Amino acid sequence: MREYFENITRELFKNIKSNELLIINFDAEESKFVRLNKGKIRQAGSVKQISMTLSLSTKDKRNLKSYVRLNGSFERDISTLIKTLNYLRRELPDLPKDPYMMFSTSVHSTEITSEKQSTSDEVILEHILNSATKLDLVGIFSSGSIYTGLANSLGQKNWHEDYSFSFDYSIYNKNNNAIKLNYSSKKWNKDDYDFILNKGIEKLAILSNTEKKITTGEYRVYLEPSALNEIIDMMAWGGFSYKSNKIGTSPLHLLNKKERKLNELISIDENIKDGLSANFNSDGFIKPEEISMIKKGEFIESLTSPRSSLEYSVVHNAASPSEYPCSIDMGAGSISDDKILETIDNGIYISNLWYLNFSDRNNGRMTGLTRFGCFLVENGKLTAPINTMRFDDSVYSMLGDNLIGLTSSRELLIDSGTYEERSTSSARLPGAIVNNFKMTL
Amino acid sequence: MKNEFINQINSYLPNVDYCSFRFVSKYTNVLSVTRNVLEPIEIIEDEGLMVTVIHNGGYGYSATSDLTREGILKATEEAKKWSAFTKGNLIHQPTPPADIINNGKYFTHEQDTWAKESNKDKVDYLYEINKALKSKPTISNWGASFRYNKIETLFTDTNGSKFRQNISYILPQLIACAEYKKEIQTRTYGGHAHARQIGYNFIKDSNLIDTATSIANDAIELSMAPNCPSKKCDALIAPDQMILQIHESIGHPLELDRILGDERNYAGSSFVNLDMFGKYKYGSEKLNISFNPEQESELASYNFDDDGTPAQKKYLIQNGLLKKPIGSFYSAQRAEQDYVACSRATSWNRPPIDRMGNINMEPGDTPLSEMIAVIEDGILLETNNSWSIDDYRNKFQFGCEKGTIIKDGEMKGVVKNPNYRGITKDFWHNLAMVGDESSYSILGTANCGKGEPNQTIFVGHATPSCLFKDIDVFGGE
Repeated sequence: MREYFENITRELFKNIKSNELLIINFDAEESKFVRLNKGKIRQAGSVKQISMTLSLSTKDKRNLKSYVRLNGSFERDISTLIKTLNYLRRELPDLPKDPYMMFSTSVHSTEITSEKQSTSDEVILEHILNSATKLDLVGIFSSGSIYTGLANSLGQKNWHEDYSFSFDYSIYNKNNNAIKLNYSSKKWNKDDYDFILNKGIEKLAILSNTEKKITTGEYRVYLEPSALNEIIDMMAWGGFSYKSNKIGTSPLHLLNKKERKLNELISIDENIKDGLSANFNSDGFIKPEEISMIKKGEFIESLTSPRSSLEYSVVHNAASPSEYPCSIDMGAGSISDDKILETIDNGIYISNLWYLNFSDRNNGRMTGLTRFGCFLVENGKLTAPINTMRFDDSVYSMLGDNLIGLTSSRELLIDSGTYEERSTSSARLPGAIVNNFKMTL
Repeated sequence: MKNEFINQINSYLPNVDYCSFRFVSKYTNVLSVTRNVLEPIEIIEDEGLMVTVIHNGGYGYSATSDLTREGILKATEEAKKWSAFTKGNLIHQPTPPADIINNGKYFTHEQDTWAKESNKDKVDYLYEINKALKSKPTISNWGASFRYNKIETLFTDTNGSKFRQNISYILPQLIACAEYKKEIQTRTYGGHAHARQIGYNFIKDSNLIDTATSIANDAIELSMAPNCPSKKCDALIAPDQMILQIHESIGHPLELDRILGDERNYAGSSFVNLDMFGKYKYGSEKLNISFNPEQESELASYNFDDDGTPAQKKYLIQNGLLKKPIGSFYSAQRAEQDYVACSRATSWNRPPIDRMGNINMEPGDTPLSEMIAVIEDGILLETNNSWSIDDYRNKFQFGCEKGTIIKDGEMKGVVKNPNYRGITKDFWHNLAMVGDESSYSILGTANCGKGEPNQTIFVGHATPSCLFKDIDVFGGE
């Protein structure tokens, strides 16, 4: 794939005129997807896809880009791309100048590659299917290589190639209660898989106890890292974006304006260095290794794209055009795992939250539901599964005055999303114990 | 060229029990002017092929953007390998259809084509709309965009079926945000609701300058308005919120693959089970819901789904009684139910799954003015801005951009942050009145997410305004 990228970009740059700048963004993946239900295969298949985005601009600040799907064969694709380039060149003079156009002009080439693992997908899948014979297991196994590249006519080249797999799944009992599990890695280890599955099976046994119906009201809750991640993910719907905070559509705009504060325990970074995403953006800028976005409950720095930097005359930090984080890193607290239940004492243990959305975006208030493995805690012990409950609460309450503490251990959660292409986002975060968590339905 | 291509790939079909080739070519063009500046124009050209093989008790697929002979043959071999691997391990061994589609066709009718209007003219119109949106100093953010999508599908299989479908749709989107004492309120047009299979004439006929002025004024009024009160009252729900209500609490729970458990790890299951069809009262007698791929200009109208099942209108709920699931030919085999043509994939690179097409609320017989007149204590809810429902599609909470208090049959002022919550099983029994043709709107949403691997797809909903009794409404902080 790398050789194809090199050859095709080299050929394209031969066609660039002196007043033009061409940036080529390259995306490809060779993926396998196996979907399971009730421990059996529902759908299985492979996807091979290659695309390039050609972004042509002129010195008078006109720009046009086009995304093209490709075959992967040099002879056929180069003629498609030359046609696209000529189309962009024809259309450019009719477009207005773009006052917010900004591309990296300093050449900074990078390369990150990883080796594909030796265990075949067939071997992994046989093991998974064998482990699921007596389980009601449902989920998806995805695997394969993801390639991201950038080259510009100034001579910059960036390449990011990564192999990974993800098995995102749930195991159900006869009462339709379930535990959600995930094993994602770059190298298959059957013992690691078995360990995660067996821990899940142990938890599922507690879900077999008679369900206790809880009513609306305020509860002390423990949010596992996966549940807390859902809340942070909602905050990220514009919350860390410079532009969203400027125009006021950010759920954190009051935090950004220093009108509100979060608990001093809350510190959130964008940590590209330890994440899975490429370290360059589509304009050719190299992302900082770490950006401290929230520190000790206060807003420190937004994710600022080159476009926002020109619109608002501020310095950018190579954020993507969406200004959305892709590698959240939240600071740990001091509650050790063996003290979680004791700290809750009487309350609810929430493994996952689901389908969050805003009930008052201006004030950071959101709603959502409990899902997968949520338990009543009585006298410091998990006693019974609970019915599905809806919460509706403000981030300034949950991660503000009502935050009791964060766990000292953190989990790396690799996004198993596969819309259009396999996601490379991730989040590392602790669990949280929250008081007066509002259940409303 | 298309006939040539389909005849060419037809010769690559392998000698197996069943194989289909589904070629998809997608073109997307988005023009967007935000705060009076043209954003980078989006042009996307995407094409590829999905090979599906059912052979000797196995099933597999392979999708490729390599459309050379070698690429297609390689993908076919890959699909055959998956088919061999899955033999004996499948949850359901599919039996392919016996029927043959002989050169079927479907084309969206574009009175004025997208290409007929130059980019410059479209962009100039967007600048004009921007000017109308930024009508007052308190407008803090504004923008407008036009999205055009064209999806061409060519299908051929070893049964001898062939069809070609060209679906194109247009989505105008407008946004205005107003700020008053650090309170920011947003009004939109188009985003979640107004996608249609229609020509560029839709944009020209929609009078978007007046719409822009209207939503900007609404945003300003909302930024100074009180919060929606918390109470139980009547809710008159406008079509641009009704579509979300139908989508989340009827469409998704009736999807047969959810009922069969396929989505339990991701999009969720359903409170509906197989025993309920033909017996369960889903709502009041006023509730009539159809799967209707025949509605002209609606977003998900088509003649064939992505498995090649011919599409026709069928009732899912009639006079409140649950009749049919949204289940495709293959899901219906698994569940021994009747099917609708709902097997749809987002593109060539994802396998088809059970999807909503056009899921419509049939119009009733009450004019909007009559519904308002009978409300003693209620609220008019317009334009969805928040949606959340549990994984069995029961406990929901939805938010709207604008609420208007109704007292003794009269509109009594605007409230901000109107939210309402309820439980699907109860909610539809509170349906008291269904609007007539005069409030019936053909709408559609371009982004419905589901499936593993994940897929977004466009779905249509046509509905009138509806009146519900005893709804829990509430506001913001």
